[in-house]
Amino acid sequence: MIMRKKSATTAVGALLAASLALTGCGGNSNDGNNANGGASSPEASKAAGGDSQKSVTISYTIWDKNQQPAMEAIADAFTKQNPNIKVKVDVIPWGDYWTKMSAAAPAGTLPDVFWMHGGQFIKYASGQFLEPITDKVQAGEIDLNNYAANLGSIYTLDGQNYGIPKDFDTIGLAYNKELFDQAGIPYPDDTWDYAKLAEVAKQLSQPDKGIYGFGAKLDTQAGYWNDILANGGHIISDDMTKSGYDEPATIEALQARYQMILDKASPTHQQMTDTDAVEMFKSGKLAMIFDGSWDNGNLASSEIIQGKYDWAPLPKGKVKRGNIINGLGNVMSAKGKHKEESWQFLKFLGSKEAADITAQMGAAIPAFNGTQDAWVKSKPELNLKVFIDQAADATPYPSGSKSYPVWFAKESEIMSQAWGGAISVEEGAKKVAEMMNQAIADAK
Amino acid sequence: MNSKSRYAWAYMMIAPTLIGTLVFWFYPAVYSIYLGFLKSENFGLVNHWVGWANYERLFKDAEFWQNLRNTMLYVVLFVPSTIVLSTFFAVLLNAKIKGRSVYRVIYFLPQVTMAAAAAMVWVIIFAQDYGLLNSVLGTHVAWISDKRFAMYALVAVGVWGAIGFNMLLILAGLQGIPRPLYEAAELDGAVGFRKFRSITLPLLTPTLFFTSIVLVIGATQIFDSIYLIIGKTNVALPSVRSLVYAYYQNSFIYYDQNYGAAIVNVLLLINLILTGFQFLMQKKWVVYD
Amino acid sequence: MGGAASAKQRSNFIIHLILIAGAVIMVLPFIWMILTSFKTTTEATQIPIKIFPAEPSFRAYADAIKQSSFLHYYANTLMAAFMKTVFPVIFSAMAAFAFARIRFPGSGLCFFLIISVMMVPNPVFYTPQYLMMSNLGLVNTVTALWIASLVSPFATFLLRQFFLGISKELEEAAVLDGCNPFQIFRHIMLPLVSSALVAVVIIQLLWSWNELQWPLIINSSPEKLTLSAGLATLVSMFGTDYPVLMAGAFMAVVPMLVLFFIFQRRFIEGVAFSASKG
Repeated sequence: MIMRKKSATTAVGALLAASLALTGCGGNSNDGNNANGGASSPEASKAAGGDSQKSVTISYTIWDKNQQPAMEAIADAFTKQNPNIKVKVDVIPWGDYWTKMSAAAPAGTLPDVFWMHGGQFIKYASGQFLEPITDKVQAGEIDLNNYAANLGSIYTLDGQNYGIPKDFDTIGLAYNKELFDQAGIPYPDDTWDYAKLAEVAKQLSQPDKGIYGFGAKLDTQAGYWNDILANGGHIISDDMTKSGYDEPATIEALQARYQMILDKASPTHQQMTDTDAVEMFKSGKLAMIFDGSWDNGNLASSEIIQGKYDWAPLPKGKVKRGNIINGLGNVMSAKGKHKEESWQFLKFLGSKEAADITAQMGAAIPAFNGTQDAWVKSKPELNLKVFIDQAADATPYPSGSKSYPVWFAKESEIMSQAWGGAISVEEGAKKVAEMMNQAIADAK
Repeated sequence: MNSKSRYAWAYMMIAPTLIGTLVFWFYPAVYSIYLGFLKSENFGLVNHWVGWANYERLFKDAEFWQNLRNTMLYVVLFVPSTIVLSTFFAVLLNAKIKGRSVYRVIYFLPQVTMAAAAAMVWVIIFAQDYGLLNSVLGTHVAWISDKRFAMYALVAVGVWGAIGFNMLLILAGLQGIPRPLYEAAELDGAVGFRKFRSITLPLLTPTLFFTSIVLVIGATQIFDSIYLIIGKTNVALPSVRSLVYAYYQNSFIYYDQNYGAAIVNVLLLINLILTGFQFLMQKKWVVYD
Repeated sequence: MGGAASAKQRSNFIIHLILIAGAVIMVLPFIWMILTSFKTTTEATQIPIKIFPAEPSFRAYADAIKQSSFLHYYANTLMAAFMKTVFPVIFSAMAAFAFARIRFPGSGLCFFLIISVMMVPNPVFYTPQYLMMSNLGLVNTVTALWIASLVSPFATFLLRQFFLGISKELEEAAVLDGCNPFQIFRHIMLPLVSSALVAVVIIQLLWSWNELQWPLIINSSPEKLTLSAGLATLVSMFGTDYPVLMAGAFMAVVPMLVLFFIFQRRFIEGVAFSASKG
């Protein structure tokens, strides 16, 4: 009896020792995953730079693992110029990102620097969770005119600046050249409209082989929001006070997209849940799909469609060629422990050098004026120019209101009922409108 | 050793547990009730007292009633199935056959798997196009995205995971029934199922009672499998969403901690009622010697 | 005589048949998990179904480890499991002994306060505990995973049942010898309840290892997650790259499986024990 207890105790003791060892070297050091995290131990950096300054590590959190290499390259470049500041790049997947940030905000544990999205910005800025950088902007350390379009103003609230634009993105039509060639159909071009899209999608579909013409998936920014805008509908009114989902033009656009599923020109919602539509495109099972410029690297990583796909502009609608433009920004936590160092890094993130790295590595279209070309050239075999071209006429992402986080979170659940066929598209859209208007009212 | 110093020892020995429980469990439970009466803003930094407003909103919310119905349906399907199947297998294992310990180990395996890991396999087993279940049965059913079947799929997963533990509990209960009782019955000419009904079952009732209390409490809290197997954009979600899932959505995705608190407070009340009811019914069917 | 023996054989055979059928269902998901983890992404979702991978590869395992903080998940889960097993057992045993064997003023009230929380569903605690961790600055830390669970009302309840069943003579002899309650507890009572302690350890270990909702809520950084929560994150990251998910799932489950196979008898005895005292 006693002997058995002893062996149990030893086993437990061994486990404890092991776990202490593993968690003990957690904290600031990198684990084996961050291959070029650029950080080694403080001792090594002291030896390299001969610095008498204390070494500091700041956290930089992002949500796109496809952009991680580029962000780490930027962090490395920054540390080369500032040997006493190391940057740890963390990826929290999009699905969890805002849940985690909203938990960290009141706890005062937001990352030192992190990606901000236009839709969530107001909530964080108005809650005083972001560090204002207005004085630095006014002192000329950063020039917001350096950035494309109106991106500099997205991250401003009540006259205070909080963020530096990082990139912008638009939506393109990715198409599988091989499937088009096999069917003898010409590739999509800028003469296409939505009717043609639906027609060709039907022609290219071979459901029995599991191949479909278009992935009419349940997606907003890279999905039906573009359809809605093209048809003259609205997602939300321009002054952000009323939902646009119950407008006839909106409902018509949604129905047209859903029709593609009914016509078997697209997989069903369930099939696209079991296997993500982008994954289907990457395995050559879809002839066409809308996708964002940020996803270019992801598509390019597929061995199956390598060299066999390209990009085209989105189709024209009844009213215009709809497209959503969005721009991410980098922001700083107001409660960070190393604000001076974080500001240095934030400034670097907004520099031309960082933009160049972003572009050359094909991570995203940088916001810094004049650097977009490098992105277009990062993959010369692809027609990446369509993204830049469409930026001029694109509609900004419908964020910028306090109610956005609430209605956006609920929108997908309601629409998925329609997309799965449980309720009609019209009913779903009207329910969304009702929900949105309620959320807007609640947020006043 | 006088009684005063005995008392001192006693207080010292209960101190860690008592203090820990009061601080980390008792106080939070009370706080949760308090939260249900507030409306918070700014990620919880600003609070207003709103009385019953959250509960009014809750009882007017059709989704709440659906969630309640779903949770109760799950309990009603899951608990009896688990008890019946666990008893069935326990009885089989109680027979004098070879390899009992091997079976016990195998049946306990699902218990040792974490819900997250198991859920992931079940998702691809239940998949409509390429799932193992459909291949074996020759069907093309969308087990987890068709609102007619999703609940049953979840119950199946739940029962699969629960049999191991409960079977062992009941087996222990079976082994506590004295042999002489069976021998006496056999002398009276009782065989097989009759033996089971008149001897085994009544004497098993205390164990079954304990099992059912624990299972019901656990079943009302169903979350893991809905979160991992069904997911937010699943068409069938409204037909399986449980109260705890709604709590998670409201508190951590829609940032409305007060509404979420109202939901779990109602769940607490339901649990108290269900357990109380079971204790009351105890006299009707549980046999104590 | 012969007829009775073969009737027994027949019924045994049927019993085995049923048990084997059940066993297959119990084990099938594991087998499917392992098979899928060696397939390619396309093979995993192939129609018609492909049972065995054409060229089994460890690609999925490599991806799962590279792209996620698996080592951290292990370490955190181990740490949390250790803290949530060792301390509750010690604290609960002490408290259970005091409640069972010492009559002291207020013992009824204190005991009631402790076990009253057993009735409360777990989710009731999450938000307030989360806010507490926030005030203590413990959000997104490994400490937050276990700190509230250093005590266990359930273990206290269970162990008290057992202590109640021990005869008084031993204790009375020790009291005459001048031992204080703690000495009685340590030297006399503990050895007697060792199988109960093992039972509690096992139940706590299992529960802590599998816990999902709390780690999901309280921690966000990859290196602070447990295996359960980390797996859930894997789904967000890899969407429908099933072999990677299966590889992750399998790696998460393996330690517990190994532990289980080694200590099977203890596990099963432990469960049976808690049943008898429940």
